[in-house]
Amino acid sequence: MSEAAPPTRSRPLRQRNIFGGKGRFGPNMTPMVDVVLVILIFFMAATTIVGQEWFLEADLPEQRDDEAGTSGYELPTPMLDIELFLRDGRVLARGMGDAPVPIEEAIARIDAMDAALSDGLILRIGAGDSVPYGSIVAVHDAGNAKNMRVAIR
Amino acid sequence: MMRRRSILSGEGTSSRVNVTPMIDVVMVLIVFYLLVGQLATDRRARISLPPSATGVEETQRTDPIIIGVTIDGIRSLNGDEIQLDRLEAQVSGMLARSPATPVRIRADRETPHRFVRPVFNILREMGVGKVELVTEQRP
Repeated sequence: MSEAAPPTRSRPLRQRNIFGGKGRFGPNMTPMVDVVLVILIFFMAATTIVGQEWFLEADLPEQRDDEAGTSGYELPTPMLDIELFLRDGRVLARGMGDAPVPIEEAIARIDAMDAALSDGLILRIGAGDSVPYGSIVAVHDAGNAKNMRVAIR
Repeated sequence: MMRRRSILSGEGTSSRVNVTPMIDVVMVLIVFYLLVGQLATDRRARISLPPSATGVEETQRTDPIIIGVTIDGIRSLNGDEIQLDRLEAQVSGMLARSPATPVRIRADRETPHRFVRPVFNILREMGVGKVELVTEQRP
């Protein structure tokens, strides 16, 4: 006749020794932390290199069509109407004085405008076929800096 | 006779499962897919955004409609290449489902305006009165 087995007693968990040693238990977190840090650095570097994206708001007013008499909303005055075009490989701006001026000069004139005059002013930008999109954005940016409301023709 | 190996317990052996290699492999896979996804997107987009100093940061939670225009005039809608004649139908469908969706133009800084203007005109004809021009924060 065999004796009944003594009741099994679960082994008490050993206390964790955070400083290491034989008493350590649980998953080894070191490699995971290593890899997570590498990912973190990678994304921080990528964000710095790529640069943050942000947005410029632009209105798209309806084009006035005298024959059809479209009923789109019309831009209120006063309005600064700038037309960009390309000549001899340079982007010029019409509408900032009597004669066309280089785009850099146009942006400088917008920057130099008095706040009382520029606040709330409508800046309408048009551009020729070959004008780089970046030039339109540059003028838009200058208008934004002076609290103008910018519309693209 | 060989003793059967117990990964959970055993006499004189470690009593824990070694998860270190698994975590290593999983993390490497995640990094790999993130990188590949990023590179694939960049290759498809090939857009160098114009710089600006006065833009606003992302604040809206709704997914925007993003219309991309490359320097070669290749247009895309939310990352997928699209022809100009199909753009209007697609965008109007999206706006019909969610009229408040913002429309963003993501064009290369060197893209000639003749490639961007038709997009503006289509949006204008659809009654989209406002667009957001995606730019890069000027350093």
